[in-house]
Amino acid sequence: MARVAEDEERAFSELVRRYQARVMNLVGRVLNDRECADDLAQEVFVRVFVHRRNYRRGSKLSTWVFTIAANLAKNEIRRRVRRRNWFSLDALQETLQDSAAVLADPTEGRDKTLEREQLQQELGRAIATIPEKYRLSLVLRDVEGLPYEDIAQILGIPGGTVRSRINRARSMLKRKLQPMMRKEASQ
Amino acid sequence: MKCHKARRWFSAYWDDEITQAERECLEAHFAGCERCRGEYEALARTLESVTTLPRAEASPDFVERTLARARRATPVADRFAAPRPLWVPVAAAASLILVAVSLLSPWAGHEAPILANRRAVPQEARVVPPFTPVQAAPSAGTLASGANSTPRVVSQDQMAALVDSLIDHSADVDFVIDPVRVSRERTAGRRVEPVQGQQAVISF
Repeated sequence: MARVAEDEERAFSELVRRYQARVMNLVGRVLNDRECADDLAQEVFVRVFVHRRNYRRGSKLSTWVFTIAANLAKNEIRRRVRRRNWFSLDALQETLQDSAAVLADPTEGRDKTLEREQLQQELGRAIATIPEKYRLSLVLRDVEGLPYEDIAQILGIPGGTVRSRINRARSMLKRKLQPMMRKEASQ
Repeated sequence: MKCHKARRWFSAYWDDEITQAERECLEAHFAGCERCRGEYEALARTLESVTTLPRAEASPDFVERTLARARRATPVADRFAAPRPLWVPVAAAASLILVAVSLLSPWAGHEAPILANRRAVPQEARVVPPFTPVQAAPSAGTLASGANSTPRVVSQDQMAALVDSLIDHSADVDFVIDPVRVSRERTAGRRVEPVQGQQAVISF
């Protein structure tokens, strides 16, 4: 980051390469919109570049990048809510179908692949319907695997609040997916 | 353990963020409560499926596009580069306090010694008498030959008074001859009358 602050372009492209997948995944999962995720991820790195001299040496770079990403994702959700056009199921389905096709094991039976796709679709949809503040905590913890302390720093809330939000988000997600999980367990 | 308490621990149990005692307590509850065990298994399956969600992939030209966009953006000023030294505001505040104290001290009753001495002089003693032409008085050693035409001889004392009357004594400083006496008088609570005379007054 010190090299990025000194206007070293190669260092900045290295930083983008290192974090692009995680930032894309975070904003994509929170927003459920692949097109917008690409654009927003770019915006995250532009902000990192523009504010590079405000980065406090000694703090975790990943936390700083995720803070910017989480704030931009939050702003985008709120903008969409204001416009009443915030839930892009088509984009989600398209993303999940593409990814599922890439990740599908060719040795698996067709039925099993379909089931997996369906589950992922349901899961993505369920995550997207969780209220914003719980959703962000859940994605940062269970999709990105960040520790509680980092999530507290990224969202600017106490550790206890992070724990309770994640607990609540998980319960919501479980309730939403319960019928499907029961069906799968019975098979 | 009650079921509602056990369910509050599910999330921490999944993250392995509970103490050994809490873990044992919860596991003992699972052994006896089929419903809670089922609830926890459902939660675990849900969270496992979240981790298997496909990750979004960035397009191959993502870095190039981002760099191009960043080049167009203007960097903002460094907020942390040159912090203001701490001594600057401290020194400024200290000098302001000093100036304020020195300006306000006459009203607060802590007068500077020079002012205190000056105030102790009776007002009438400090009034400079208006200049009046000195009428020379004939003295024993003076030759007077005629009423008007004869040049008048002025005595040394009169000359000294004339010279003294030309000087503004309002800014004179009293010279205390006997500080022991002054101190004794002040201790006794009596006002010390200043001694002012030709020999005792010095001017600045």
